[in-house]
Amino acid sequence: MASPAAVRELQRDLENKANDLSRIQKDIAKNHQVRKKYTIQLGENELVLKELELLKEEANVYKLIGPVLVKQDLAEANANVRKRIEYISAELKRLDATVQDLEEKQNSKREAVLKVQQRMQALQAGKAKA
Amino acid sequence: MASSKGPASPAVRVAEMEKMSVEQLKAVKEQTDLEVNLLQDSLNNIRTATTRLDLASAALHDLSLRPQGKKMLVPLTASLYVPGTLDDSEKVLVDIGTGYFVEKTMVEGKDYCERKIHLLKSNYDQLLELASKKKTVADEAGAVLQAKLKQLAPQT
Repeated sequence: MASPAAVRELQRDLENKANDLSRIQKDIAKNHQVRKKYTIQLGENELVLKELELLKEEANVYKLIGPVLVKQDLAEANANVRKRIEYISAELKRLDATVQDLEEKQNSKREAVLKVQQRMQALQAGKAKA
Repeated sequence: MASSKGPASPAVRVAEMEKMSVEQLKAVKEQTDLEVNLLQDSLNNIRTATTRLDLASAALHDLSLRPQGKKMLVPLTASLYVPGTLDDSEKVLVDIGTGYFVEKTMVEGKDYCERKIHLLKSNYDQLLELASKKKTVADEAGAVLQAKLKQLAPQT
């Protein structure tokens, strides 16, 4: 019953599923990297916010825009840093959701790959007996 | 983010490891070794940063001793210095991160350096504790692995 064509088809299926799996794993790794970068930025921005909050009203704040140091209003600087912190936190939450989804997909792909492997083994064992 | 071997006492951990196969044990040891290396790198980074802050603090202190109008050399690039005079050393510009600079008094500037150094020192201590815990686990895994391998070897 086991024809070489069936085995070949299973093998092709296995290759496809294995490729899908490695693609998902690469996506998860990329997600981790981006998440790391955002976490570092979040930490830095929170430090800056803490420093800004320690300042008195009339303290001078400057922002480095390219090679130019531009005087900024303390309230404006506070608002900018707060907005950045909000944005980064939202991005991190989105990344979390994405990585969870990816991990689920990875697990189900792993199971699918295992099933195909088992079918191949059963088929080859059947061939050996025949 | 880092996986912790939490409240498990060393005896419990070793018992768990004894139950694992050689393959699993090798994987655990490799994983823990990797984590230990990462933590060591972080510790080194913190040490470097603390040194830089110490240098900044020393420079600030030196600056506060200099009188106004003192002749000095101002760096324009890494290899070009221009003669100039020291203006007001009472005000300093502090880089607080993400491109923001704050004008502070000399006292506030010194205080800023002190605060950052304290923060780094406490981070360093926390990391050191975590790193030594991980190292203990890695060493335990190594010992159990060695014992298992010795058990298997004479049978071949």
